[in-house]
Amino acid sequence: MTRRDVIHKWLVYSLGLLPVWLLDAYILPRCPLFGVVPMLLPLAVAAVAVLEGAYAGTGFGLGVGLLWELAYPGGFGGSVFFLALAGMAMGAVSQYALNQSFVGCLICAAGELALLDFLRVTRMLFINAASLSALLQVAVPEFLWSLVWTPLVWLLFRAVYNRVGGTKLA
Amino acid sequence: MKDFLRQNGILLLVIALLLSILIGVGTAVLGGQADPLSNVVNVVITPVRSGIAAAADWVEGVYGYVFHYGEMEQELDDLRTQLGELEEQVRQGEEARRENEQLRELLGLQARRRDFTFEDARITGRSTSNWESTLTLGKGTSHGVGAGDCVVTETGVLVGVVTEAGANWSTVSTIINTDTQMGGIVNRTYSAGVLEGDFSLMNQGKLKLNYLPEGAQLVSGDEVLTSGRGEVFPSGLVVGRVEGVFTDPSGQTRYAVVEPAVDLDVLIKVFVIKDFEIAE
Repeated sequence: MTRRDVIHKWLVYSLGLLPVWLLDAYILPRCPLFGVVPMLLPLAVAAVAVLEGAYAGTGFGLGVGLLWELAYPGGFGGSVFFLALAGMAMGAVSQYALNQSFVGCLICAAGELALLDFLRVTRMLFINAASLSALLQVAVPEFLWSLVWTPLVWLLFRAVYNRVGGTKLA
Repeated sequence: MKDFLRQNGILLLVIALLLSILIGVGTAVLGGQADPLSNVVNVVITPVRSGIAAAADWVEGVYGYVFHYGEMEQELDDLRTQLGELEEQVRQGEEARRENEQLRELLGLQARRRDFTFEDARITGRSTSNWESTLTLGKGTSHGVGAGDCVVTETGVLVGVVTEAGANWSTVSTIINTDTQMGGIVNRTYSAGVLEGDFSLMNQGKLKLNYLPEGAQLVSGDEVLTSGRGEVFPSGLVVGRVEGVFTDPSGQTRYAVVEPAVDLDVLIKVFVIKDFEIAE
């Protein structure tokens, strides 16, 4: 692939991320289910990492992490490294232990979301923000409701992958 | 993984780590001021955010008109009744004010006077996380909005406090957010406490009035206002009403659960108090 092909490929992936971001940032927060809003950006990283592998997963995770930190309120920098690392790990796991399928993406997304919520709960416990039961009342529904959106995100990025993914060109 | 190592994947991870540290340090150093990167990104996406918010508000309005017409009619009737009652209260309040002024003059006290400088702002974004309750406004430092400014509705009900301000946007931590901490007072009994966001109450849209005095006799429905203690935030802003009084699990202190007077989900426009004075 030439440099131009690579730019074209990641431009299409970025366009694929656009509706996910708009849904995540502006549409879904207006209609929470039982007060819970899903997290779609980590799912996008999971889908791309499973489809494209560890290296691309790291780069995409870095980009999505930057978006999360800079365009969303309340960030403290950790998401960039976390999502880049998660992208690498999920890409490697899908290459060696799982496969490029929806089930592989679902397992990776579950692991990523669980780790993300685990880190948040640990941080909240560390700063003594709330009791464990109160934190789990937020973390568990968030994890489950986010996971429900995996098929939609997977289908979107698989469509992008079928068009420009791997070494294919549009 | 071989591809990852061959293609300098480690370098990407190092870049990610450095960016994380840079943003983290920037956030910590700048406090309520937005870091330059966030500011640039948000300046660019603010018009997009405003457009989406306007479109979503329009869709909600059409939906409400089509599917809730009967409810709206009922609500209008209720509001007319409420207006009549409020007009009566205003008349009574006016009488009380005159009497109060006379008493103050009699006692030689100077009336407390507050001067608020307002900046109206449209809400362009809402919390995208289940771990915090924030609003994004379409105005920022270029309009004089800064971190620490109180945000109220048009009726003077407290919405929250600005925690971060960029050039044309700002983030408001709502009163139910876990980082909320300000002096509160129960209007009927003058019992002072500390208004605090609580994690388990946040998702129910409520907050706590902590550290109540031992003898405080609160009842459900008591109005809670900001006390203005410390003169960081204005006093007398309506926060909400007491829903119930409970004892801390330690058994040491009592706290009240407060139902905010503001409905955060339906807010469209708010007012930022950019400046206020307390003249004793």
